[in-house]
Amino acid sequence: MSILHYNGGAIMAMKGKDCVGICSDLRLGIQTQTVATNFKKIFPITDRIMIGMAGLATDVLTLDQLLKFNCNMYKLRENRDMKPEAFAALVSTLLYEKRFSPWFIEPVIAGLSEDGVPFISGMDLIGAPEVPDSFITAGTCTPNLNGVCESFYEKDLEPEQLFQVMSQCLLAAVDRDALSGWGAEVHIITTEGVHTRQIKCRQD
Amino acid sequence: MNSLDSNPYGLRDNELSSGTTIMAVTFDGGVVLGADSRVTSGSYIVNRTADKIQPVHDYVWACRSGSAADTQAISDYVRYYVDSHVTSLGRLPKVKTCATLMSHICYGNKDNLMAGMICAGWDPYDGGQVYEVPIGGTLLKQDFSIGGSGSTYIYGLVDSLYKPGMTKEECQDFVKKCVSHAMARDGSSGGVVRIVTVDQTGVKKECLLGNDLPYLP
Repeated sequence: MSILHYNGGAIMAMKGKDCVGICSDLRLGIQTQTVATNFKKIFPITDRIMIGMAGLATDVLTLDQLLKFNCNMYKLRENRDMKPEAFAALVSTLLYEKRFSPWFIEPVIAGLSEDGVPFISGMDLIGAPEVPDSFITAGTCTPNLNGVCESFYEKDLEPEQLFQVMSQCLLAAVDRDALSGWGAEVHIITTEGVHTRQIKCRQD
Repeated sequence: MNSLDSNPYGLRDNELSSGTTIMAVTFDGGVVLGADSRVTSGSYIVNRTADKIQPVHDYVWACRSGSAADTQAISDYVRYYVDSHVTSLGRLPKVKTCATLMSHICYGNKDNLMAGMICAGWDPYDGGQVYEVPIGGTLLKQDFSIGGSGSTYIYGLVDSLYKPGMTKEECQDFVKKCVSHAMARDGSSGGVVRIVTVDQTGVKKECLLGNDLPYLP
């Protein structure tokens, strides 16, 4: 079993009309054994940027601390929050620094610029960035997530519609994965703020 | 990685696994069999509504765990042999006969099989009986039996909940609760809980859907 599949998990981010959404499941496991059902994999970086990380849980927690540190230092030096594009570049650089002994995570970044322009990005474990127009997935059930997002994604979804589409896509995908599921968390980022919702789903 | 944790059944790449939680309990006059419904290939869930409880004869049923292909083949062979046996016997088969046939097939082909099965049912000679045929081909008669990868999480629960002399309804609740609990903890088990109750009057099949499961964290 790959080290990236040891703890399990699924993350997905999707663009909407002047909004972005990012969602994940809540399972933490040790291979097939479920250990926790409230393990958050999405962390706020600024008011408008969130990062979700799939992969080895210990690295997910460590990277959260490392990224918060780097963003706080940036804010102190520059006296402003980071732009989403700059944050994605930072993550990429930090991951590539460990090119030959990598962090075992797959990050997904979702953010809104100052003007409300949505931004999403995903990377592999050594920082190769991908900046798509539609959606990005990571975790143990990416084939499932990609399939279902490709089918249900539409351009310019309003925040409420985006929430519905993302929830249904995530639930359908994790129901076919033995290592993901056990509840889900969806964050919708708009110019007004972040609206977070927990979804109850199949507990198996 | 060859550790037993990541591949407890020693399956080939992409081989289908009925990862599973299975159990069977006797009561006075019959048995209750229970199983989850998840079939996986690696971590991908190939079938989330599988039926792992198969009839061997009218009143004798078998629960399957391990390699899906191996257990289906064994179950089909046992059904065929029992059918021939009953034709020449002219009456209902003993549960012990079916279970012994199963254990002979499992033991004789132990190098090539990965199957943990429970054979349970009712016959007019000895009433309700449960026989476990774990990997390797042992035959073990028990009052109740649990099997599959999910069973490791409920040994404590069954030991604390089981009481000898339970009624049919108490046994059904016992099975539903234990299988749900195992499905909650084991990634290889999930879906619905299928229950089959066998007694003198006949066979009753039930299916407990996700939202009806008694165990939720």
